[in-house]
Amino acid sequence: MSGTDFQGPFHRCATIVENVPVARETYRIRLADPAIAGSIRPGQFVMIRPGGDGSDDPLLGRPLALYDVVRDASGAPVAFDVVYLVIGRGTSALSRRRAGESLSIWGPLGNGFGRAPEGPAVFVAGGIGQTPFLALGRDWLQPGGPCPSATLLYGVRSADLLAGVDDFHAAGVHVEIATDDGSAGHHGFVTDLLARRLDRGERPAKVVGCGPPAMLAALARLTERHGLDCDVSLENHMACGFGACFSCVAPIRQPDGSADLRRVCVEGPVFPARGVVWS
Amino acid sequence: MVDPRVTLGRLTLPNPVLVASGTFGYVREMSTFVRLDRLGGVIPKTVTARPRAGNPTPRTVETAAGMLNAIGLDNDGIDHFVAHHLPYLRTVGAPVIANIAGEDEDQFVAMAAQLGGEPGIAAIELNISCPNVSHGLDLGVDAEAVGRLVKRVRSECPLPIIAKLTPNVTNVVPIAAAAAEAGAAAVSLINTLRGMAVDWRRRRPILAYDVGGLSGPAVKPIALRMVWDVARALPELPIIGIGGIATADDALEFLVAGASAVQVGTATFYDPTAADRMVDEIASRAAEAGVRSLREIVGTLRSNRGG
Repeated sequence: MSGTDFQGPFHRCATIVENVPVARETYRIRLADPAIAGSIRPGQFVMIRPGGDGSDDPLLGRPLALYDVVRDASGAPVAFDVVYLVIGRGTSALSRRRAGESLSIWGPLGNGFGRAPEGPAVFVAGGIGQTPFLALGRDWLQPGGPCPSATLLYGVRSADLLAGVDDFHAAGVHVEIATDDGSAGHHGFVTDLLARRLDRGERPAKVVGCGPPAMLAALARLTERHGLDCDVSLENHMACGFGACFSCVAPIRQPDGSADLRRVCVEGPVFPARGVVWS
Repeated sequence: MVDPRVTLGRLTLPNPVLVASGTFGYVREMSTFVRLDRLGGVIPKTVTARPRAGNPTPRTVETAAGMLNAIGLDNDGIDHFVAHHLPYLRTVGAPVIANIAGEDEDQFVAMAAQLGGEPGIAAIELNISCPNVSHGLDLGVDAEAVGRLVKRVRSECPLPIIAKLTPNVTNVVPIAAAAAEAGAAAVSLINTLRGMAVDWRRRRPILAYDVGGLSGPAVKPIALRMVWDVARALPELPIIGIGGIATADDALEFLVAGASAVQVGTATFYDPTAADRMVDEIASRAAEAGVRSLREIVGTLRSNRGG
């Protein structure tokens, strides 16, 4: 309700430049839209109707976070990428769309991440939760800025689900991996990687998390125990993405200490970790 | 040029395109997608007497050509609505129809009386059909209770009263008749149909509330049939058609079936500029067919069975 600050959003029919596999069941889709590409910020998302070319099946849009902005030779934003995991009918339909087809999209939506911290940043990602952190790494690591380094702690079930690790390296983000099955990196939870660093005495200026609720809750507890500044990006189920449907509410602590269900799409998706009431 | 104006009793709207309560937020959310002053009217999310947290999540799930919702009337209560949302709504440049839900008759009457004293509201829509709270549904399925409620609300509130009816009944006509007899300016139909979605592996319904209201293109044939039923039985009663309306042709189908106006609902979720585009498209479609005034095509559908 109050405190929402829209830039745009735009409702567009965008042409697919490419839609390519980048890991098991994981795709990167590039959409040509200078208006959205030029206004979207890291941590914001777009809604994409996966049916393509006006199809009503599937009916609703799917919220997908900005992965990267694509610029032309002069540096002007011309397109943007999102990376998605095929998990249901919507993302499955999206994976069948081809270059040259058009998609109905609207965005940018949501609040996005805050400004670069005055010191090292750590991104903690679980599953497909790494996607908002490429654009964020690029933004925060600008030369001459206050943030000297960024590390992505990236946990997936199995190594073949790792998507975009080279992109992070190219953006100057250090990457450490955890897998549930031990097929790459640390065999265990991604939050173990952060705990290990904190036990060694590291103190990041900012921790940001995106992933499954259980991972985020563990991250919130860990960073609170160490007195660290931590934001999380929530991935609640949405129907509209712009505050009309009230599907995506999450319990958020209010200034008076009470918890209130707030819309993740317009008041988030990024919240201070200690402001979220974890069930 | 087609005359786009439509009338609902003593209420004249600039065109027939309204937006349905619960699908357009508090209108403010839509201002970047829709030129609000072009709409026939706006209906903000249902307001209740006291703040309601609503239901737990998941609150919505997509289904074949539709979706189920069980939001549970999440809202901050009527006093917040009057203080925070109404001042904005007065500035949007389209008629504002406030939608209210009481837990009982007295609450409905008190809320209507309160809003009746506020400037900038064109009409009140009574949500006596929300499937996601028990009391609304109980009231809306009982013709006698609907008649009594409309009568009492009218005696306490000077604004035109619109009764939003539920399709979850054997026959909606007696309920519409009771609303008409009690002096309702119009009836809106339909609200959502009760339904459910199941995750058989988990042996659980998908919605946290177990059941919810079905909306979207899937319900349009049912809504059209109910509008036609009521229009034929009660030709003097203005009807606002709702149910799966996403295009100008959808809206025109409802008009000829007997609706004087329509509400765009779920379509806004997946096509946020739908209502805006529909305003001009209805007029151009009608003009192409030689229609001079939208009012003249309302209820012109003829039965194939000679009725």
